[in-house]
Amino acid sequence: MTEPAEIPASLEGVLKDEILRMYQEVADNPDSEFHFYHGREAAELFEYDAEWLARAPGGAVDSFAGVGNPHLRSRLQPGETVLDLGSGAGLDSIIASWQVGPAGNVIGLDLNPSMCLKAQAHAASTGARLDCRTGSMENIPLPDASVDVVLSNGVINLSFRKRRVLEELYRVLKPGGRMSIADIVSAKQLSQSIVNDPKLWAS
Amino acid sequence: MFRLVEETGFTKVRSAVVPRFRFRKAATQASAEAFGVKAVVMTALKPAEA
Repeated sequence: MTEPAEIPASLEGVLKDEILRMYQEVADNPDSEFHFYHGREAAELFEYDAEWLARAPGGAVDSFAGVGNPHLRSRLQPGETVLDLGSGAGLDSIIASWQVGPAGNVIGLDLNPSMCLKAQAHAASTGARLDCRTGSMENIPLPDASVDVVLSNGVINLSFRKRRVLEELYRVLKPGGRMSIADIVSAKQLSQSIVNDPKLWAS
Repeated sequence: MFRLVEETGFTKVRSAVVPRFRFRKAATQASAEAFGVKAVVMTALKPAEA
């Protein structure tokens, strides 16, 4: 997955609008059919623990739009600080909160302020603690070396500036910190028609 | 992305394909396969001495 050489700022803005629209649609209308699997069906497909899915609020499960299971290799420990990059409706953040316990912290980051509010409400309904921040993954609103673990699920592929995103993850991780990310990769350079089509890129 | 992760300075970069990932719609899945699109779970460490 390489960086497109030149990305007009206007196209990046259109893309962000389309990402906001699409994932808001998943959250608002989880019974709709999308061209990707979502909700409980997707979480079960990616082997999320049945106990987690039974315990998590239905709204967080129904709006899940990940592409894999970053928890399988995250090895979260009690007391750790976790950043959930692109936290959406909050399912991965809530699961992380259970694992790090009351001595730990989970920080969500989402481009969409209403998704942050939704994720925090979902977390609160289960007694999980989530501090969700609104912001972009290219400019993470956190200090240097402030988190132990980064989780992310189906988000980094949405950025035109993946190198910048990874530099930001490196910056906010403490030395010795780690990341576990599920994402989409492509073996071939995507065609310019896809790069220039926000609806295709956002999906 | 694996290469970008390494170039950023991460070490012990590991990647595993998500075996059951696929798109719901057959046409999208066919296009994805044509471009070698797949889902992976990637883990990496920031060196302790960084």
